[in-house]
Amino acid sequence: MKPPSFEYFAPTTLDEAVALLAQHGDEAKVLAGGQSLVPMLNLRLARPAALVDLNRVTGLDYVRAENGHVVIGALARQRAVERSADVAARQPLIAAAIRLIGHPAVRNRGTVVGSLAHADPAAELPAVAVALGAEMVVTGPNGERVVAADDFFVSYLTVDLAPGEVLKEARFPALPPRTGWSIVEVARRFGDFALAGAVATLTLDDQGAASDVRVALFGVADRPVRVPEAEQVLRGERPDDDRIAAAAEAARAALVDPPSDVHASAAYRRHVAGVLVGRALREARERAQASG
Amino acid sequence: MKRAIALTINGVRVEAEVEPRKTLADFIREDAELTGTKLGCEHGVCGACTVLLNGEAVRSCLIFAVQADGAEIMTVEGLAQNGQFHKLQQAFWENHALQCGFCTPGFLMSSYALLQENPNPTEDEIREGLSGNICRCTGYQGIVAAVKSVAGSAE
Amino acid sequence: MVQMATPRGKWIGARVKRVEDPRFLTGDARYVADLTLPRMVHAAFVRSPYGHARIKGIDASAALAAPGVIAVLTHADVASVPPLQDPIALDGLKKTPQTVLASDKVRFVGEPVAVVIAEDRYLAEDAAELVQVDYEPLPAVTDAEAAMAEGAPLLFEDLGSNVVYDQTYRFGDPDSAFQQADRTFKKRLHTNRFMASPMETRGCIGQYDRGLGELTFWSSTQMPHMLRLSLAGFLGIPEQKIRVITPEVGGGFGQKMTLYPEEVVVAFLARHLQRPVKWIEDRRENLMSATHAKEQIIELEAALTNDGTLLGLRATCIGDGGGYSFNTASALVEPQAAALMMPGLYRVANYEARVVAVVTNKTPVGAFRAVGWTAGHTARELFFDEIARELGMDPVEFRRKNMIHEDELPYTTCSGQVYDSGSYVKSLDLALQTVGYDELRARQAELRAQGRYLGIGISPYVEPTAWGSEIALQVGFPFPSHDNARVSIEPSGKVTVAVTTHSHGQGHETTLAQVAADILGVDLADVTVVFGDTAATPWGMGTYASRSAVIGGGAVTLAAQEVREKILKIAGRMLEADPADLVLADGKVSVQGSPDRSVTLAEVAVSSYFVNSVRAEGEDPTLTATRFYDPKATYSNGCIVVVAEVDPETGQVRLDRVVSVEDCGTVLNPMIVDGQIHGAVAQGIGGTLYEHLVYDDQGQLLTGTFMDYLLPTATEVPPIQVEHLETPSPVTVQGIKGMGEGGLMASPAAVAGAVLDALAPFTPKVEELPLSPERILRAIGTITD
Repeated sequence: MKPPSFEYFAPTTLDEAVALLAQHGDEAKVLAGGQSLVPMLNLRLARPAALVDLNRVTGLDYVRAENGHVVIGALARQRAVERSADVAARQPLIAAAIRLIGHPAVRNRGTVVGSLAHADPAAELPAVAVALGAEMVVTGPNGERVVAADDFFVSYLTVDLAPGEVLKEARFPALPPRTGWSIVEVARRFGDFALAGAVATLTLDDQGAASDVRVALFGVADRPVRVPEAEQVLRGERPDDDRIAAAAEAARAALVDPPSDVHASAAYRRHVAGVLVGRALREARERAQASG
Repeated sequence: MKRAIALTINGVRVEAEVEPRKTLADFIREDAELTGTKLGCEHGVCGACTVLLNGEAVRSCLIFAVQADGAEIMTVEGLAQNGQFHKLQQAFWENHALQCGFCTPGFLMSSYALLQENPNPTEDEIREGLSGNICRCTGYQGIVAAVKSVAGSAE
Repeated sequence: MVQMATPRGKWIGARVKRVEDPRFLTGDARYVADLTLPRMVHAAFVRSPYGHARIKGIDASAALAAPGVIAVLTHADVASVPPLQDPIALDGLKKTPQTVLASDKVRFVGEPVAVVIAEDRYLAEDAAELVQVDYEPLPAVTDAEAAMAEGAPLLFEDLGSNVVYDQTYRFGDPDSAFQQADRTFKKRLHTNRFMASPMETRGCIGQYDRGLGELTFWSSTQMPHMLRLSLAGFLGIPEQKIRVITPEVGGGFGQKMTLYPEEVVVAFLARHLQRPVKWIEDRRENLMSATHAKEQIIELEAALTNDGTLLGLRATCIGDGGGYSFNTASALVEPQAAALMMPGLYRVANYEARVVAVVTNKTPVGAFRAVGWTAGHTARELFFDEIARELGMDPVEFRRKNMIHEDELPYTTCSGQVYDSGSYVKSLDLALQTVGYDELRARQAELRAQGRYLGIGISPYVEPTAWGSEIALQVGFPFPSHDNARVSIEPSGKVTVAVTTHSHGQGHETTLAQVAADILGVDLADVTVVFGDTAATPWGMGTYASRSAVIGGGAVTLAAQEVREKILKIAGRMLEADPADLVLADGKVSVQGSPDRSVTLAEVAVSSYFVNSVRAEGEDPTLTATRFYDPKATYSNGCIVVVAEVDPETGQVRLDRVVSVEDCGTVLNPMIVDGQIHGAVAQGIGGTLYEHLVYDDQGQLLTGTFMDYLLPTATEVPPIQVEHLETPSPVTVQGIKGMGEGGLMASPAAVAGAVLDALAPFTPKVEELPLSPERILRAIGTITD
């Protein structure tokens, strides 16, 4: 099980990387952490003619707080983000999501931005990005542009990146005050991709009603999805158990065509999505109340 | 087209010309002739090929040797010093943490990295920390016991 | 709780750490993949992408022209090699010959079709992609019952059917039992196809010396001499001109006891190319081409009285054998073993078993730890749980009532097994006491009131071991089965033990040394155990079916005792004492009661070899003996209890703990026994909850990587507590019984039983394994569409 041949480039600046990617177009792949790409190469399921390795580009491994956001550069390893004090203080949901990804050796090498650009619909971080309304900073031959997470994830392993473009950083809004959060999933084994998962944040106003609710699901469509149908049930309401149950039911009903595979059918994913939305909202509520 | 690279493995400099597609695992086994690092799946699941890259545990089947140019690598062969077992090797021996031995190098390296980061893990932390390595012989009982037995002890 | 029936020396029974471990801990141990020979080249196989297809032509020209390619071979090039088929001689068993490279047809995805030899494995894989095979896809059949149906696509047209065996065995009077029954019950269980999945895949290196006419073959096999015999037959090389060496073998579990077509091809190539040829299987190949296991469709019927007494059983065991009734053990390996052991440790006087073996377009099935028994035992134990629930009996009481009690031993079952000795009820009781059964039942009720679902699974077992000729016959595979040991004391006084059983993780370098050290009165460090090289060991069968402790240990005992007698005879002459008055211990021989009158073992040895006066006229100067052992049948037993909690909203299972009581007679090394149980139980957890080789209806394997074939990790396997009972066998040397398979025979029923017990309030219905979260939700009706 050996990878096919490819041309290998290790640029030291982002401009150089963009130029190489533009030059090779569809034939090139970006190599960052490699924890998804290299297995596909070894299995010969991917055969790029060229690999543009970002690992020698300096100054891309940052994780920092900036203007009410947590900003994560293309080469920040998942493990570093998981341990970041800025992340813990401002957006703990990211660290919690990372702890559900694979295993330490995978997170040591894998990057947060790489996971977003790979866009596995069952992955945790894209769903967090969608739930939080993160911004994707894309750089390419024509300069930089910023894409909303909701628009960035197009379909299975497909994102809004043109040939020559690189996802340079992701900006996650910090958690507002009086906000609780949760990420829960069902996976076959610890660390596996989720059969289904839910992300929720819940902001309470002075009366204890939900002033803001965000719910996103992963593993249940060809991309991570926000679930406005569930959010609506709670917005402006007190998030008691009955309301949350109704939101969960709304999430279940909103799912169009969940995937089926050897591990679970569409029916299972639909059922469990509702269960997980309920659990995520209840946990987010407890955290919001505790942050009082 | 081959490229010249130079790595330090267990403190020894190793230079070779390699194709970019050669994995770090194959480089360690073939070019550096250190066959203690094993290949169990070559797609990043089993953990048998775990080594330390600049001090952090990684799967050497998912990194190309050219990417490790200039890096410091530590493999299972680097654990014992001056003919003395590392405390983890001794603990694996005493706790029957191996049977066929094929996964053992990967488990030793993952355990080493785990204890570097968290010298006093709980049993749950040990199990989670080693959940990226697969053993088919021991049911993990001896391995968890071995790591537990050295947790909290000084280097 | 250990009953000491056999007097012990210093070593047997001691928890000694393994003498083989240091080289594995330092990375110095060499497996076949770690070996390099001068001028060595590398093989990659071209494998069928179709479950069922006709081969219309093969064009290797592009592959031959690729960089670094030395040769490409197809069936036409190896047509002189006879096809592989099983050697099992049973009336009514049809043969399904398999050419080592597919000739006219392929019958499973992964079947070898061609082989590419190149300068390295990267180049060989590149070229393998360039071999153009013209396939005509054929309709596939991937379900055993569908394969039995009229009009099913036929894998072997000339057989006229996909059924290679269909026989009914009757023991006692099953019809009367069912007529007399107050109540009858039925159950169906389709057990999942899973596999041994050793961490080291298969692999081999062939090297042929033309001048000597000798083949040296390094292989990751469990059976070096059997492999040598097979290679001799298939390649026409005299057996004595082949040397098979096993370097370290990274686990086998039965998968490496089969002769594989790839091995024959690599040996053929070594001679054909006059260069060493290496093939190291990758994981994807192992998942689709190495033997699969455990899949059966089992239907059971039970006849009972109102008070829960079992009057009779009926079983149909349909084995899904995959693309070939595979060589070595045939497609019967699963259903025959399941059917004959179906009564287990219960009193079943009347029993009818139908055994069916079928070929389908999936990977061939072979042995894997507790072959046949895993499926059969799981079906029976889950059936008994259901019956107990229906009768309103506690599952423990139902079992205790129908179980063979200790005072009935030895016991001859209706299907022909002779259980020599054991602790059936005692094991059950100890397991329940250890786990705290009554407290757990109380806790279960308490948690249910809170909406939490805790369950307890109970699985007592009897395990056929010590695969000699007699037990092979008793459990349905009549084949002579014996092994040898040669014990030698060199002039230095050190001991070499050469055995024909094989260690691939089981620690024989330690346990067999413990046996020899006790008998010869030496330190463990003075004994070296040699195996895995046909040039260095006597002829023997190898390691499978839990035979090494009994047969290896027995043969070592017999040979060491013979050497001991030689030592005492020589020492008697040296000390001018009667050998009967001598004590052999701590590396010296001394006169009983006069410890000052002694000679060291080294002095005895050197005298035996070099001082003629210590020997009688014509007496053998070498302190060596070779003895074979073919034991009488002996059966181990035990009981596994699992505690699990199930989330009824998601179907997720969390295992809290496992208790395993093991009685394998005289224990050589309890640490190693514990390790065998731990590993077998973990495999049982995998096979019950996670591992499943799934095919689509065209025969595509959908779980072809470790991302989809889910082996349990440290987070899925809970603490496993092992308790020992020790009832030595009255019929084997040293009272040793085998062990190692019971954990995988019995733990699946305990795991599944615990899950179903947890969900009892929902009256779960399960006909298929594994218990994936989805299957659990369907079993309790949460999902219905």
